[in-house]
Amino acid sequence: MKRIWYFFREAFMSLRTHQASTLIGIITTAFTLTSFGTFLLLYHNVHNLIGRVQQNIQIIVYPKDDIQPQMLQDLKQVIQADPAIESLTLTSKKDALNDFKHQFPDEAYLLEGLGESPFPASLVLNLANTIPSTDRVSNLVNRLQQNPHVERVRYNRDWIERLTLIITYMEIGALIIGGVLALASITIIANTVQLAFYTRQEEIEILRLIGGTNLFISIPYMIEGAVIGGLGSGIALSFLRGGFELFQHKIHTLNVIGGFSSVFEFFPLSFSLLLIIGGILLGCVGTFTSMYGWMRFRL
Amino acid sequence: MIQLFHVTKYYEGCLALSDISVRIEKGECVLLTGPSGAGKTTLLKLIFGSEHPDDGQILVQNRNIARLRRADVPYHRRTMGFVLQDFKLLPHRNVFENVALPLIIRGLSSFESRRKVIEALRAVGMEHKQTTQASVLSAGEQQRACIARAIVNSPIILLADEPTGNLDPHLTMEIAELFKAINARGTTVMMATHNQQVVEQLNGRILRLDSGHLLSDQGASA
Repeated sequence: MKRIWYFFREAFMSLRTHQASTLIGIITTAFTLTSFGTFLLLYHNVHNLIGRVQQNIQIIVYPKDDIQPQMLQDLKQVIQADPAIESLTLTSKKDALNDFKHQFPDEAYLLEGLGESPFPASLVLNLANTIPSTDRVSNLVNRLQQNPHVERVRYNRDWIERLTLIITYMEIGALIIGGVLALASITIIANTVQLAFYTRQEEIEILRLIGGTNLFISIPYMIEGAVIGGLGSGIALSFLRGGFELFQHKIHTLNVIGGFSSVFEFFPLSFSLLLIIGGILLGCVGTFTSMYGWMRFRL
Repeated sequence: MIQLFHVTKYYEGCLALSDISVRIEKGECVLLTGPSGAGKTTLLKLIFGSEHPDDGQILVQNRNIARLRRADVPYHRRTMGFVLQDFKLLPHRNVFENVALPLIIRGLSSFESRRKVIEALRAVGMEHKQTTQASVLSAGEQQRACIARAIVNSPIILLADEPTGNLDPHLTMEIAELFKAINARGTTVMMATHNQQVVEQLNGRILRLDSGHLLSDQGASA
């Protein structure tokens, strides 16, 4: 207990004593994590945007003209059972005719005298709000095409493939940029802690002199790194929130992206907390890297 | 207690100690003398475990220091005290906190720590200064606080490297007297010094070193 108290007291005393280097550490961490967070926010929103666009992707299934109502019901059930499908809407022949008349009132006379509706009934399938896999959609379409009660299936294969490709590229990009920025954060924190180390070498030497183990000496520094990382990530999160609000305000005022402006959203609370925990972990890893290099060859 | 067998140490190719063999018994007061660069500090560092010999073996309380694992070095150091010329106190802490550090490292309870710290401070005549910040202490007081920190763990061996190097003759005598009192209580004292006054006052066994060689060993117990 006395030791735990000592570790925390040492860490906070050191933060207070070395205010300048602590401040530099917090600011640099905040800026690095802001860059990282900006990228994450961008990724998060583009992902949302794609999700929204994806909801508009439809697969249209045309059942055979002579399909029995019971068969149609079975077909609907088979389709709805697929997890890739979010919703299904049946447009009967009559509905299709009404839609045509509604959309093209001037051309409605063309259909006069034809008796029954010349338009086929159709099932409009909306994809689930998850990333569509081209294979998964293709499999579904293939299965539907092989169904004896289905006349034809129409869907925009190119669009889905392109969307999948964009998402794949974005995920790879997120991994690379995220990795680079995380590495930068670790390096910055490591350097900050190392600076603190150099200014406090004598103190560390004293602790070694009186039998302090590497772990005992390191713990206050780890706490210090965690505090710097935590505060840095907290500030970064505030910057991001402020920047995001400003951005939203601007796009609302300028109305530059019309209806899509409502798609943008900030990180959910759980993710914000994760970002702070990430900052704390980065602080610890940075400290560890710095200390490990420093203590490795010392007796 | 301490045994050195043909110990040799080089620093970047330069000979620091050459084929030193010494046996020091429990409760002895050993004074390492000789000019600067004679190898006095190196010898103390080897015993303390902050250097490894290039050749030979060092036994401290039957433990071979030359083969000590890196992780075991701190535990070895906890069995002894070390006093240096430049005090090495934490300047932003008060005397009590400085002296209590070795006990915190050992994980002693607050009650036990307090008792031991007060005892150590009393032994060096610094009980009244326990709340004074280390940075405002005089040189003599700082060295006393260091000695208190070195003895707070009740070590069996007390090593000292020129502990009076920064002190005036009067303070030198006071500090030497403290070491004498500590030795009288049964602690083995091993001190590097080139101060003749201290050597005379402590009246211990004298190991004279020069250029890494042991020139003489006066007053060794048979």
